[in-house]
Amino acid sequence: MDEYSDSDWNWDFYEGLVEDVNENKNIIQCIQCGKCVGECPAARISNFNIRKIITKVLRGDKSVLKEPDIWYCFLCERCKRVCPKEGINIPLLVINLRNESFRKSYGPKYNDLTKYVQMAEKFLTNGTVLSEPLDGGLPPERMEELNEICNHARIKYVFKASPESKNYDKIHRIIEKRKKLQKEKIKRK
Amino acid sequence: MVLNNLSLDHEEIRKNYPENPLEFFKDKKLCLFKACLEKYFPGVRYGIQDLLEVLDLDVITCANQSCCSGTFFQRNLITRPQFAAINERNLNEINHMADILLVSCNGCYNSLLRGRDFLRQSNIKKKTQAVLNNLKKNSSGENYPGKYELLKTPRLRIIHDLDFLHLIKDEVVNTLKFNLKGLKVAVHYGCHYLNLERDKRTEYGLKDSFFKDKTKLEDFINLFGGVPVDYQERESCCGWGASQIVLHEKDALKITFQKLKSVQNVGADLILTPCPTCLYTLGKPEHRENILKFYGEFIDVPVIHLNELIAILRGCEEERCVNIRKKDPRVHKIYEIITLD
Ligand code: SF4
Ligand code: SF4
Repeated sequence: MDEYSDSDWNWDFYEGLVEDVNENKNIIQCIQCGKCVGECPAARISNFNIRKIITKVLRGDKSVLKEPDIWYCFLCERCKRVCPKEGINIPLLVINLRNESFRKSYGPKYNDLTKYVQMAEKFLTNGTVLSEPLDGGLPPERMEELNEICNHARIKYVFKASPESKNYDKIHRIIEKRKKLQKEKIKRK
Repeated sequence: MVLNNLSLDHEEIRKNYPENPLEFFKDKKLCLFKACLEKYFPGVRYGIQDLLEVLDLDVITCANQSCCSGTFFQRNLITRPQFAAINERNLNEINHMADILLVSCNGCYNSLLRGRDFLRQSNIKKKTQAVLNNLKKNSSGENYPGKYELLKTPRLRIIHDLDFLHLIKDEVVNTLKFNLKGLKVAVHYGCHYLNLERDKRTEYGLKDSFFKDKTKLEDFINLFGGVPVDYQERESCCGWGASQIVLHEKDALKITFQKLKSVQNVGADLILTPCPTCLYTLGKPEHRENILKFYGEFIDVPVIHLNELIAILRGCEEERCVNIRKKDPRVHKIYEIITLD
């Protein structure tokens, strides 16, 4: 049974979440059919239940931001495919909820950022998430562009935990080092 | 301005080139989008590059392309405008050198289209523009200011490798030396191909094709002389789940295990996928071993990307792409099955 009564409707939370996401305004039309849950891989392996999460969002129940469940979504878009309603974009709603959760500092508890340190380092120094990509990384002189785009993003804070970051202290020094190596390589050729 | 109208219209090509859709691509410049995971599976790249060269198509890669950054967006490490700006930067670079962008990875494909989708939102569009403007302000010399604009009318069109290869399937088949000799093959499309609607021109009423059964991999298996086998978990996720396998390995591997078990139950000889991320998840030896550890069963059905399989069937393994096989026992196993009498 639904643990809420009709008087519990509260749109503030929902409006804040979808304020800039037009394509998610239709969440309000969710008919609670549960089809999304039936097809959801995250529901198979955790207590993640997106139908219940939508209910909470529509009732303004912010406790959802503290739940580990929202970090289980696979962002696989299966729910979008099976939902009988048009314009309900659950993966995007989940990303917004996670963002709010981050803002309130609950996020890192469930989103183990240590797992991203290496990937962040590769991306901000090479332009790819893996070391030694097939054709080498982004040319060093173009790396500054990526770093500029990512200014103030969480990826930069994650990067700070990498040994590379400690060694070189600033990303651009790594880039400078790569530039130098590249020049030496050209000279040798 | 239709900002998200980046996907190549397959139906239009079929209509205009009913005899041979390859003709449409003959005078075009084709660029291969570089997926990070091609590092582990070079055959995914070289397999298609070699084929295109043999078919006399003009094919390039873009040195200034970065990773699609989907991994970081999906885990909230970059914002939507930043993600859209990284995407727009890549599209700018590729747009000025190519007409068609071929994408070998479902993740990159989703990212490229999603980045454009976000620009339909006026505030995201504004913020993305601001990020790019800032780039211009701070750039100098070679970073030619004015370069990164939101592309209003890009000439570039994007197509997934699977859709492209399917369009020219008759030509592909003509290049083959070997066949699948009646092998039973299970397909795994991957969520961001199977469940995607971004590549459908919904505004023109083509949404139907989103719901239609997706059977292009099965078509290929038939054309290659194999037998497609259906299985219960055909449409389920590989277990990658936007890095769930990194964060909750045991739980995510349960999804992988259920899929592989279901494939084994129908007696499939191999699994065919059009995505290197799914390939990584389903095929990584460490994952198979951990499945044994966590769930008590070792499943050894090999998995292969469509581009790799075409390379093997073309006999390209023996020459140019030989390294693919030597470095990877997974591909070697399939190569032996297919090529040995
Ligand atoms: S996107 Fe998330 S909620 Fe939707 S089916 Fe996949 S795991 Fe479940
Ligand atoms: S499938 Fe759609 S309508 Fe049904 S519960 Fe899920 S979100 Fe709501």
